[in-house]
Amino acid sequence: MANIAKKVSWSSRAEESGAAGERTPLFNGSEQPRLSRQLSGGGSVFQIGRLSTVDLEEEITSDEDSLRGRPKEIPHNEKLLSLKYESLDYDNIENQLFLEEERRMSYMGFRCLEISRWVVCGLIGFLTGLIACFIDIAVEELAGIKYRVVKQNIEKFTEVGGLSISLILWAVLNASIVMLGAIIVAFFEPIAAGSGIPQIKCYLNGVKIPRVVRLKTLVVKVCGVICSVVGGLAVGKEGPMIHSGAVVAAGVSQGRSTSLKRDFKIFEYFRRDTEKRDFVSAGAAAGVSAAFGAPVGGVLFALEEGASFWNQMLTWRIFFASMISTFTLNFFLSIYHKNPGDLSNPGLINFGRFESDSGAYNLYEIPLFIAMGAIGGLLGALFNVLNYWLTIFRIRYVHRPCLQVMEAMLVAAVTATVSFTMIYFSNDCQPLGPEHNEEYPLQLFCADGEYNSMATAFFNTPERSVRSLFHNQPGTYNPLTLGLFTLTYFFLACWTYGLAVSAGVFIPSLLIGAAWGRLFGILLASITSNGSIWADPGKYALIGAAAQLGGIVRMTLSLTVIMVEATGNVTYGLPIMLVLMTAKIVGDYFVEGLYDIHIKLQSVPFLHLEAPATSHWLTAREVMGSPVTCLNRIEKVGTIVDILSNTSTNHNGFPVVVQVTGSDEPAKLCGLILRSQLIVLLKHKVFVELARSRLTQRKLQLKDFRDAYPRFPPIQSIHVSQDERECMMDLTEFMNATPYTVPQETSLPRVFKLFRALGLRHLVVVDDENRVVGLVTRKDLARYHLGKHGLEELQVAQT
Amino acid sequence: MSLHKNSPFLVLLVLSTYALASSVGGNLTASDSADKLKQSLSLSPAAPVVVGVDSTVFKPGVDSLFSLNLLSSFPEDLEISDYCSDLLHIFGQRYVAYVNCLVTAARPVKVCQNCFSSYGSLMNIYTNISSDQMGPGNVSCRDSLLRSDHLMLVYLLYSNMEDIWTKSACDNCIKGFQSLTNDTLYFISTLNQTLTCFEKYQQGNHTELCKDCKNAYRDLNELYSRMETNLTMCIDIEDSMNMTRRLWSKNFNCSFPREETVPVIAVSSFMLFLPIIFYLSSFLHSEQKKRKLIHPKRAKSYTTLMNIQDKLS
Repeated sequence: MANIAKKVSWSSRAEESGAAGERTPLFNGSEQPRLSRQLSGGGSVFQIGRLSTVDLEEEITSDEDSLRGRPKEIPHNEKLLSLKYESLDYDNIENQLFLEEERRMSYMGFRCLEISRWVVCGLIGFLTGLIACFIDIAVEELAGIKYRVVKQNIEKFTEVGGLSISLILWAVLNASIVMLGAIIVAFFEPIAAGSGIPQIKCYLNGVKIPRVVRLKTLVVKVCGVICSVVGGLAVGKEGPMIHSGAVVAAGVSQGRSTSLKRDFKIFEYFRRDTEKRDFVSAGAAAGVSAAFGAPVGGVLFALEEGASFWNQMLTWRIFFASMISTFTLNFFLSIYHKNPGDLSNPGLINFGRFESDSGAYNLYEIPLFIAMGAIGGLLGALFNVLNYWLTIFRIRYVHRPCLQVMEAMLVAAVTATVSFTMIYFSNDCQPLGPEHNEEYPLQLFCADGEYNSMATAFFNTPERSVRSLFHNQPGTYNPLTLGLFTLTYFFLACWTYGLAVSAGVFIPSLLIGAAWGRLFGILLASITSNGSIWADPGKYALIGAAAQLGGIVRMTLSLTVIMVEATGNVTYGLPIMLVLMTAKIVGDYFVEGLYDIHIKLQSVPFLHLEAPATSHWLTAREVMGSPVTCLNRIEKVGTIVDILSNTSTNHNGFPVVVQVTGSDEPAKLCGLILRSQLIVLLKHKVFVELARSRLTQRKLQLKDFRDAYPRFPPIQSIHVSQDERECMMDLTEFMNATPYTVPQETSLPRVFKLFRALGLRHLVVVDDENRVVGLVTRKDLARYHLGKHGLEELQVAQT
Repeated sequence: MSLHKNSPFLVLLVLSTYALASSVGGNLTASDSADKLKQSLSLSPAAPVVVGVDSTVFKPGVDSLFSLNLLSSFPEDLEISDYCSDLLHIFGQRYVAYVNCLVTAARPVKVCQNCFSSYGSLMNIYTNISSDQMGPGNVSCRDSLLRSDHLMLVYLLYSNMEDIWTKSACDNCIKGFQSLTNDTLYFISTLNQTLTCFEKYQQGNHTELCKDCKNAYRDLNELYSRMETNLTMCIDIEDSMNMTRRLWSKNFNCSFPREETVPVIAVSSFMLFLPIIFYLSSFLHSEQKKRKLIHPKRAKSYTTLMNIQDKLS
């Protein structure tokens, strides 16, 4: 890709000084590395190119001035940070209002809060379970109708001829159902596309993804996932369940719906980012546990993805939500299956029971499992690389909603076509089993009483296919069928992920893995003379599924537990863990996990667990944004309005300073105030002059801030008259009087740790006299990452 | 008898159980010498269901058992009553009859049609044994026959037969152990029609068979699938249908041929061609999405540089 912008290299790798000259054309001549310095230590060259452009204003020539007039445009790539993402305010704003409210609260009040946290978690679990149940039943019923119609059609045309009509019927049915799902996603809520796990990961990391936890998103997500699974795409409904759980949590914990304009006047205390995010992690856990019947896996997922902020009580509450969710689902599914009260039917994807004797494994099989893990890692890396290129292409060229809908329809039609062709040309016939594992057996050209074995894999919802791969008798599939199936499904799944439909990648990965795992098992049995010791190909299917899934998503702890819980057999813990470990090690050698790739491609300022290695030499001074827009403690309203209205600098936090009388020096820091707070203050017209004239005016309370949360009105909607512009505003009461600060010399990893551990949004950099010199935000930190050529810097872009 | 080896710490209990069991056998053999051989065979724990085994193999064993039993005898109240031993005797006879019937009906499977009456009578006698109603002389045979030892042979034997019966789903074809259900009879007659049709053409051309018997075969198939959904099916019907299908598909080769390969390939290659066009056209005609770069405010770099220089010097 020649048009990816040049990255600034921070590595200490020796570079020819001529290299700078070579690169110049890529910059269109505007961004020539201006400063390169020779450091001691082997003549290494640092190029600090981009940093200089803005700041050296006095040096800018008239030629460059004209270039700066229009912003530079580059094609979308992974090395960008988007402006549209903001941080969550995880850190508590300890202003005077907050302290006052806390003082007023009685002991009982705190007890009630604690209890209502539990109630909210219970509700989250319950509702998530209900949604999972709804999705499951809807998919089962609708897919049942579709497959019956197609099956009847195929049966009819097998007899009289004209099977190509069945093929067209199948393709058209798929395409039209998927069209429905794609339209609601592409036109109404694009954030509902995909599995939603990357978005939830970002949210738990502390990034506010716009509209990700809205009610509308939930509705679109649920309908979308039903459409895409029923439409026969190579997708699963498990990933979206996690997103749905998170939305439910965010909604329930607030006790109101801004979309529906209903306020139940409950849980008002929870209306801030700190509390909401805790509940969202519980919701994500509930989603996982409903999807896989894995309550512990759900908790571990929440911990693994949102690991920086949790404590024992939170974990325990998350676990409660997970349990409730699983068993709500079980209860309602038991009613649906006309077996009310049976709580032992686990999860949306039910791996079925692995009998302990048929699935026993032995020490000599462990190396085989590890080898399978390596294969899974390789295939997963291939999957991710292919999907990466495809996604870049999609972002660049298929960005119009109608094109996205068309693409989804095409994928659906092609999926049906490929499946049909596979089934049509398959010669693998198997006798019908007595217990009818095959929901929709297709006979086609098989003898009577037999069915087409390829059809059990393709002519079915992906989950059922997984289950039949795990559990069908040895000899149900012949190796050729499995090989072809793996190959086609691999490419179909890879092509499908990233479409504008809401759909998960868990099930397709499991299916691919189960297919080649089973193939592996069958081949093992055939090459050894004594086939009986490798008797059960289902066991290898399970291991293959774990390997493939681990190779694609690269989750470790939570995925192991999820797999173990979904199979309901603890003895598989060791092989699954080994397999996932191998898959991750092998896969990470080539490329990152699928979710991380997508997070990167969405230009999200995501903070990883630790600062990039070799970044200790960077100090806060280089990292921070400067100069900082500061506010005086008693500031003119006009100034505030002007600052907030300035579209070019969309700042969110403003250090509050006190001017040292009679000096030109920057003033000393005394607090930090957020844009959202200022907007609420402006809206309520908390001006010094007005307070004097109307002594009885109600004092602003924390409640007023909560009522505006989370959708604070934009500054444009607040009317400030000319007279009011001259008024003054006293910020003392409202600002956070004790913001975190660091000295200029603090190293990047240290700043990073503070951010990650405390969930900060703004970190003020001060000099030795407590004067503001800069402000570190999430984007300042997230832009450094370790690339192939050492430390690289991402660019900020408008998306 | 391996009980002795397996649980030496329960010797006392096991000994008494063993003695009781053998005394039952002894009594029976003594009371009815004509049936002696047969009976001890069917009651022998070593071969509860095996019937066709050469009886001479067991003869010495039975004899030694008998001679041993004479040595030990139990007080009156521990032995079973005559009534119960009669019941046991009848049970044995009917058991043998049923098993005989099953074996002869094993292939092709006709276990329901042929053996339902013998199963009915076996069930009858077992119900008698296991009922808690007192027989003549105020004795209940349930405890003495079924529950006095942990082998529970009579129960075991019966439950084996019961398993076979449930597995073959014969209840679906039998009406109160009297006769076959109407559905079953109808199925059998339809099946016979089809088979006669097959026989008529068997020697000649198979394509003719496929054409002429198609109607009969299709009716049979439809009837079968109706019965499948109604759950009015037993193993006999299933098996005969399987055989007929195999005849039809494998022997006579009447399955549908794969004829329309060309249209299917044409349609699917058209479908596969569409995405290529789509991606090409969107690559060529859609404008590429560009991102506007924004240059964040940063501290003046030369201060940084100065600083580094300071540090270095």
